[in-house]
Amino acid sequence: MSVKYIPVQWNKNKWWYDGIMLFAVVCYLWVFIEITPHILNHESPINAQVHNARAFGSCAFLMLSVILTIGPLARLDNRFLPLLYNRRHFGVMTAFVALAHAGYILDWYFAFSKAGKYEALLFANTSYTQLLGFPFEAFGIFALLCLLILATTSHDFWMKFLTPPIWKALHYLIYAAYISVVAHVSFGILQDQQNQAFPILFVVVACAVVGLHLLAAISERKKAGEHEKSTDGWIEVCATSEMNEGYAKIAKLPKGDRVAVFLQDGKLSAISNACAHQNGPLGEGKILNCLVTCPWHGFQYDVTNGRSPAPFTETVPTYNLAVENDRVLVDPEANQPGTFVEPLVLSKPKGGS
Amino acid sequence: MTQKTEPFFVGYLKVPKGLRSFLLMASLMFVGGFLAASLVIGATQDDAGKAGFRFDYGRQTVTGVVELKPYPLLRVTKGNDRIAVGHTLMLTGGGKAGVMDRATPLHGKLATASGVILERGTLDMLQLRGGKAGLKAAEGEASIPTSEPLGKWRLAGEICDGKCLAGAMQPGRGLAHKACANLCLIGGIPPVFVSSKPVEGSEFLLVASADGGPMLQSLYDKVGQFIELEGELERRGDMLVLKIDETSIGLAK
Ligand code: FES
Repeated sequence: MSVKYIPVQWNKNKWWYDGIMLFAVVCYLWVFIEITPHILNHESPINAQVHNARAFGSCAFLMLSVILTIGPLARLDNRFLPLLYNRRHFGVMTAFVALAHAGYILDWYFAFSKAGKYEALLFANTSYTQLLGFPFEAFGIFALLCLLILATTSHDFWMKFLTPPIWKALHYLIYAAYISVVAHVSFGILQDQQNQAFPILFVVVACAVVGLHLLAAISERKKAGEHEKSTDGWIEVCATSEMNEGYAKIAKLPKGDRVAVFLQDGKLSAISNACAHQNGPLGEGKILNCLVTCPWHGFQYDVTNGRSPAPFTETVPTYNLAVENDRVLVDPEANQPGTFVEPLVLSKPKGGS
Repeated sequence: MTQKTEPFFVGYLKVPKGLRSFLLMASLMFVGGFLAASLVIGATQDDAGKAGFRFDYGRQTVTGVVELKPYPLLRVTKGNDRIAVGHTLMLTGGGKAGVMDRATPLHGKLATASGVILERGTLDMLQLRGGKAGLKAAEGEASIPTSEPLGKWRLAGEICDGKCLAGAMQPGRGLAHKACANLCLIGGIPPVFVSSKPVEGSEFLLVASADGGPMLQSLYDKVGQFIELEGELERRGDMLVLKIDETSIGLAK
C-alpha cells in the first residue's frame, strides 16, 4: 500500500512506457539510417550528416506530433489515459532527438568556415524580410529552446518550485514549439522537395494534430453545455439517477473552472476537477480505497475535504452541494482548499418541502 | 466521463485486464506507424545527382595563367590527360574558403595548381592543396587569354555556391541549403548560376557582378531561389561567365 503514497516515481508501467517509446524511436532511426540508403541507391549518396539530420529531425517531428495527440485522444476516449501517464519522459526524449538533429546540421552546413559554427548560424542567412529563403533555422532554434526548457523543468521539483499554475502555463510552450517546427519544415526542406511523399505525410500528421484538438474541444464543450443554471445561482450538475457509485460527474462553472461531484457510499461530495499536481481531471478519476484517484498520475484526495492523505499536503477546493427535484446542484463559490464539507446523503433532498 | 464499466488505469497499480489488449494494440500501432513513416520518409529522399570529390582521379597538377576576376581562375596552358589545354578551372581552398589571397600575387602570371577535382557533369573545380604546394609561380611568360562576349541574355535559374554544387555537399543547392551556400560565398567560393535551360551548351555559369567583379553582397538574399535575371554573357576558354545586371533580378514564375 505504501507505494501508493509515492505516486510519481519509477514503476513497472513507466518502464513499459519508456521501453515501447524507446523501441519505436530506435526502430525509426535504424530503418532510416541503415536501411533506406540501400533502397535509395543514389549514384552519389546523400551525405551521411544530412541523412542523419533528416532521420533525427523527422523523428522529432513525429514524436512531438504523437505527444500532442495524446491529450485530445485521452479526452475523447478514456482508454488513452494511460498514454498520458508518462508523457513527460516522451517529451524529454524528443528534446534529445531534436538536439541530435541540430547537432548534425550545425556540424555540417555551418562548419568548415573561418567563423565559429554558432556565429555562422547567426550571420550566414539574414534574409529575414522575405518568405522564400527566410532563415528557417530560426524557427528550429526557437522550437529546440522550448523543448529544452520543457525537458529541464519537467521534473516535479520544478512544478513545486514554480507552483502548478505557472508550471502548467510554461508547458503550453509545447504548442509554440510545434507551430515553430511546422514553420521550420515548411520554409526549409519542403521548399526543395521534388518527391511529394514527405510533404503529404507532413501535412496529414500536422492536420491530424490540429483536428484532434478541435474534436476534443468540441466534445468537451458539448459535455459542459449539458449543464444549466438554476434559478438561485446554483449550477445544475445532473440528475441524481445519473450518479454512479465511486465515480463523478463534471460540471463547468460560470467562471470557467470545473467541479467534480462524486458519489461515495451513497453520499455526494464535490471537489475541484483540477488536480493539484498538474491540473489533471479528477472527475475522470475514480474512488479507490475511499480516495479520489487522479487519472493522470494517481494523486489521491479525500473527497470530503479535498486533502491528500498524510504525509502528502496537496489540497484542492471543495464545493457545497444540494439536491432539488432529483437534480444535483452545486454552489459555484468554491470553499478554501481543504475545507471539510459534510457529504450529502442522496435520499434527503435539500430543504425538503 | 468515466463510466462504471470501464477499467480505470492508475499508473502505479497493475494495468486492469480490460485495458491491456487496448494498450497492446495502441503500442503496436505506434511502433508500426514509426517504422512505416521511417521507410516512407527515408526512401523517398530526392536524388541530388552524380557529383562529388574525385579522389579516384588522384591528385591533379596543371599549369596555366591566373586570372582574378570575378573569382580566382586558372586558364590552363599545360594540362594532363584529364584536364585539357584551354580549360578554365575555378579554384577553391579547403572548406568554405576561396583562394583570393594566394592567387592575387600571381595575377596574369603562369602558375602551377595542384589539388583534387570536384565534378558535377560539365562543372568542375579544383580544390587546391595548402600553401605553395597548391598554387605556386611557374617558369615562363604568358598573358590572360581574351574573352569572347556573347551578348545580353535573360535567364531563369538559381544562384548556388559552386563548390557544394560541384559535389562538396550532397545535396548542395536549394533553399534548405541556403545558409551553407551563403557561408561558402562569404568565404570566397565562386558562385555558379544554374540555368533552367542550357545556354551555349552549358547550364552552369560563373557569376560576376555587372562590372565583372565578384558577386554583390546584396545578391546573398537571392541565393537558392528560383529567379529570373538579365546579364552579359562572356566565354572564357570553355567557361561561361554571367555578368548579372543586379537591377533585373526577380522571382521566376
Ligand atoms: S496526478 Fe498528475 S495531474 Fe493529477
